Amino acid sequence: MKPSDYWALVLVFALLAVAPALAGPFYTRLLATGILYGTAAVGFNVLFGYTGLLSFGHAMFWGAGAYTVAIGMVKMGLSFPASLALSLLVVGVIALVTGFLSLRHTRIYFAMLTLAFGQLLYAIALKWRSMTGADEGIYGVPRPLGDVVLYYYLILGVSLVVLLALLKILKSPLGLAFRSIRDNPFRAEVVGYPVNRLRLLSYTISGLATGVAGSLYAPLQTSVNPESLYWTFSAAIVFMAILGGSRVFIGPFIGGLLYVFIQDTAMGATEYWLLATGITLGALILLLPEGIVGYIWRRLGGRLE
Amino acid sequence: MVDAGFLVAQLVNALFYSSILFMIASGLSLIFGITRILNLAHGAFYMLGAYIMYTVMTALPGGASAVLGILAAGALVALIGLLVEAGLLRRVYGKPEEVQLLLTFALILVLDDLAKMIWGPEYKSLTTLPWGSLAVGDYTIPVYHLVAIAVALASAVGLWLLFSRTTLGKKIRASASYPEVAEALGVDTRRMFMATFMLGSALAGASGALAGPVLTAYPGMGTEAIVLSFAIIVIGGMGSILGALAGALIVGFTRTVMAVVYPVLEVALIYIVMAIVLLVKPTGLFGGREVERR
Repeated sequence: MKPSDYWALVLVFALLAVAPALAGPFYTRLLATGILYGTAAVGFNVLFGYTGLLSFGHAMFWGAGAYTVAIGMVKMGLSFPASLALSLLVVGVIALVTGFLSLRHTRIYFAMLTLAFGQLLYAIALKWRSMTGADEGIYGVPRPLGDVVLYYYLILGVSLVVLLALLKILKSPLGLAFRSIRDNPFRAEVVGYPVNRLRLLSYTISGLATGVAGSLYAPLQTSVNPESLYWTFSAAIVFMAILGGSRVFIGPFIGGLLYVFIQDTAMGATEYWLLATGITLGALILLLPEGIVGYIWRRLGGRLE
Repeated sequence: MVDAGFLVAQLVNALFYSSILFMIASGLSLIFGITRILNLAHGAFYMLGAYIMYTVMTALPGGASAVLGILAAGALVALIGLLVEAGLLRRVYGKPEEVQLLLTFALILVLDDLAKMIWGPEYKSLTTLPWGSLAVGDYTIPVYHLVAIAVALASAVGLWLLFSRTTLGKKIRASASYPEVAEALGVDTRRMFMATFMLGSALAGASGALAGPVLTAYPGMGTEAIVLSFAIIVIGGMGSILGALAGALIVGFTRTVMAVVYPVLEVALIYIVMAIVLLVKPTGLFGGREVERR
């Protein structure tokens, strides 16, 4: 049987649903982080893998989501659902504005621009002490449902909804339009697609998905700090997508889970875990440029994007 | 009435900071313009330059060791550049951008940690700068800053001469624009790429060496510098030395002025300026036809 996007999603989430029964609280929390990283990376991949635009600024959506939920719950006293809604609004506006400006270019220039706008948000978070707590960030974000395991299931549920919605979009005519732009923007324009508007739409959908993941991350950590907006986290999101495989829908999700565990293993093994992570990731990208899931997918006879 | 001495001191500060930025950004822009690789680890090269300077200056105090430190940083970082180019990047010329970017990103993680291993995690600063200072009113201007500005100016002139007046410069440019023709005419394009990468890396190393004693050396200083270089390149225009100079001056002055006037916007304003330039002239102030539309 050839692998399909839906069945892969169902299988992975079924495994994740039983995982807390086997893992202790520490690994449950790590898995929850992995699920959110993975969801953020799938969101990133809507723009990268399906629309052909490499963003190096997705930490801005992740971080903006995390900060807005933290500010909403801690500073404004809003409930979690209200904070989440506010965070979607904020992320959406940020995506529309930065997308409008960054999409004046494509390819490497686009990557640099998104990176620079991410740094703009980072600079704001670092300086706006009364709102963001500056370099210390915001502490004491309440965790909905309290318990880590219960919150894990909330994360799992929301992530599943986000991923199903993205898959639905990508399989729709809109998704086909994105692919057409990715494969040949000139042809897409000649055929009559409003290329720039569709790119902005893809950018916004992509940012919102990553923003939801970031929004759920702040209550998991019960805190948020400027690192969540720093450009190296944007690079990490790109890494997750490529690590898992950007040409399979579920690839970046698995990439996010793997990234968390590579990092955790390296941290446990050596004081110089960045060095170990860097060498591992560098080697993987040279040896398996299609990603781990991409490789397995192809071996199983699945269709790559 | 603002004190004239204060203004002169701030002017020198802004020029010093712009000089550092120009040297990093021009190296980055040069390497990208020729090899088409956007080296994210370029900032880490700058950091290594700062550490090498620190080591040389603590080992041999005095004015001569500062000169030695700058030269050593330039040379050693050029050598590291050579190793990185020949050992790593040569494999990914012409590969997709994300592979190139992620490989150089992985290199940052490695170099940052190597620096931590060799020099430790704490900030490295020097208590006194060599060469003393000049008094202007109630303010003092370190001679060191003036030397740094002179070095940056010399690099700008040197780069301009190299690319407009020498055969080597023409060969390098030909290797980027018309590789097949250049090869047919007997230019070893591989060696030209290597030379470019070493030159750009040397600029980053020397820039770090100049910055280190003033701005202190620490792991992660490179990831900050690289993003400012991006802003500079976007403002000035990709691949243009003049653009890098203009961009560095704009960023250097914006930051120095805002640090005094309204520090909350010190960094943010740089990106706002960038966004405005982008709206008015998408190719940057001195950018040519080079920018791809799609």
